Amino acid sequence: MTPLLEFVNVSFNFGRRSVLDGLNFTIEQGDCSALIGPNGIGKTTLLRLAACVLACSRGTVSLAGRRVDTLRRVEAAQLVALVPQRFEVPFDFTVEQIVEQGRTPYLGLFAGFKRRDRQAVERALEMADVTSLRSRIFNELSGGERQRVKIALGLAQEPRLLLLDEPTQSLDLGRQLELLGLIRTLSDEGVTILAAMHDLQLIEGTFSSVLLLEPDQELSKGRPQDILQPDILERAFDCPPRRGPKLVGENRALLEKIP
Amino acid sequence: METEIADKIASGSSARTDRRIGFSDRAFFMLIVAFLLVVLAVVLVLSMGMGATKIGVREVLGSLLDWHRSGSTNSVIVFQIRLPRVLASALVGAALSVAGLLFQGLFRNPMADPYVIGTSGGAALGAGIGLFLLSGFSFLGFGATAMMAFAGSVASMALVYWLARIGGRVPVITLLLAGFAVSTMLSYSTYFLVILDDNFGLRTRVLAAWLTGVIAVPRWTQLEVTAVMIGCGLIFCFPLARRLNTLALGDDYARQVGVQVEKTHLAIILTGSLITAAAVSLGGVISFVGLIVPHMARLVLGPDHTRLLPVTAIAGSIFLVLTDTLARTVLAPSEIPVGLLTAFIGGPFFLYLLRRTRREYAL
Repeated sequence: MTPLLEFVNVSFNFGRRSVLDGLNFTIEQGDCSALIGPNGIGKTTLLRLAACVLACSRGTVSLAGRRVDTLRRVEAAQLVALVPQRFEVPFDFTVEQIVEQGRTPYLGLFAGFKRRDRQAVERALEMADVTSLRSRIFNELSGGERQRVKIALGLAQEPRLLLLDEPTQSLDLGRQLELLGLIRTLSDEGVTILAAMHDLQLIEGTFSSVLLLEPDQELSKGRPQDILQPDILERAFDCPPRRGPKLVGENRALLEKIP
Repeated sequence: METEIADKIASGSSARTDRRIGFSDRAFFMLIVAFLLVVLAVVLVLSMGMGATKIGVREVLGSLLDWHRSGSTNSVIVFQIRLPRVLASALVGAALSVAGLLFQGLFRNPMADPYVIGTSGGAALGAGIGLFLLSGFSFLGFGATAMMAFAGSVASMALVYWLARIGGRVPVITLLLAGFAVSTMLSYSTYFLVILDDNFGLRTRVLAAWLTGVIAVPRWTQLEVTAVMIGCGLIFCFPLARRLNTLALGDDYARQVGVQVEKTHLAIILTGSLITAAAVSLGGVISFVGLIVPHMARLVLGPDHTRLLPVTAIAGSIFLVLTDTLARTVLAPSEIPVGLLTAFIGGPFFLYLLRRTRREYAL
């Protein structure tokens, strides 16, 4: 079967600085993968390459078997949606008005919203559980609510692949668990997910595979229990020698209570 | 899982209620448009009756409907003097307000206005150069003045856009500073043209009127040309309005959903500059209209540009017809430049906005 997302020998240079070098990996339809790695290693860049917002310097990125440089922008936007980490809205848009923007790839310059677009927005609002917030002003929402609205925005694109850039960042524990619940629900409903994750504690139990980006190494992909091993992580994250605490597994008891 | 989804669908009552709200939202919008159109018609007719010679509403309407037969003084006043003047102010008001809306959307910043960011200044300098240096030149019926006004406004807009943009964002502070510097340079460059005046101060007086913002009684041909420019510009704004909504969520996001960001920016700059230039060629540099009107519309309708666009255009017409009527009647028979009035109203409003938003922008 053709993988949904495929990176073959992909490199990306930012000016003269090489950010990603010779990456190879695939994401299959139905995967729910976490992308981890130290700060500044290029997780966001990788997601932006996959979302066709950036073009790679060398190598090829393919979406559903088609090279992204042969895809028109709107075609790519119908396949993949990227939920960005930072998202600033200067005016007082309501949640519904924001989520409607996700339909942009399906609308011509002059065509209005059709029934199908309306349905997609409704479904996105429902799936991200923000239907009750639809008339609220986005800028007045809490961090957790905003994060869910951003995910609804991505879902309104009806993408085959949903990319999330650190979705749990700056959320409190309760909202983090809520968001993981949402990711699991989406995955169960057939949405393929690749999420850059900062907090390693939150990966097991939600994600089916982990992609580890580390300096001067091949990207490694595997099951969470195989990748999230102290020796692998300590090397990847360049941890100083110490006695404790343990890197993963501390909060297992808590995480197992997630509904 | 299936039951969960089924539950969600079954409990879709909230969605239905909201759709009803959506409908009434739309009805509210249509009601506002209809209301504003009626107000505009009333204001236009009343304004034509006011001035040094007072003319009753019935006589105004009579002269308009029957202008070619009746030769009375009042009908000449209405048709030859007042009608072009109110139409000109309606066009200028609509153009400046919509240009303000476009620029605010482009800069993602509620402080942008053709005057504040120097587009009007650029258009005035261009128009001045056309008037003083290329006055005999014309192309396809467009005089050098109008064409140079367009070139001037595109150039100044592009300059401010380039100066104020930092990493894909336009912070309010760089926008205001760049706009201030560029428009000051432009207005003094325009004064420089006065030195070139060899026509007993006539051109200087025209120029001075331009820089304070006076809507002169235009010739019908002039009015037709600018009406076409502004009309085309406004029509072109409609597809841009939806793009402005997407761009409001950031260039990166817009790119990700398939918008050709750079081309869209260029289209907004050109359209905004075209209608600003048309407005400046009729009324000179009139300040702050593009700031006040879109802001008021946004307070009533929210930030959706597809709705703001028609409302801003009509409300801008009403606003400028009213202020221009005030400008020519309050000290009758002499006239105050309308730009002076809008500055009196708009200046404090601008400061109020700046104060209100300073926390948001960490000024």
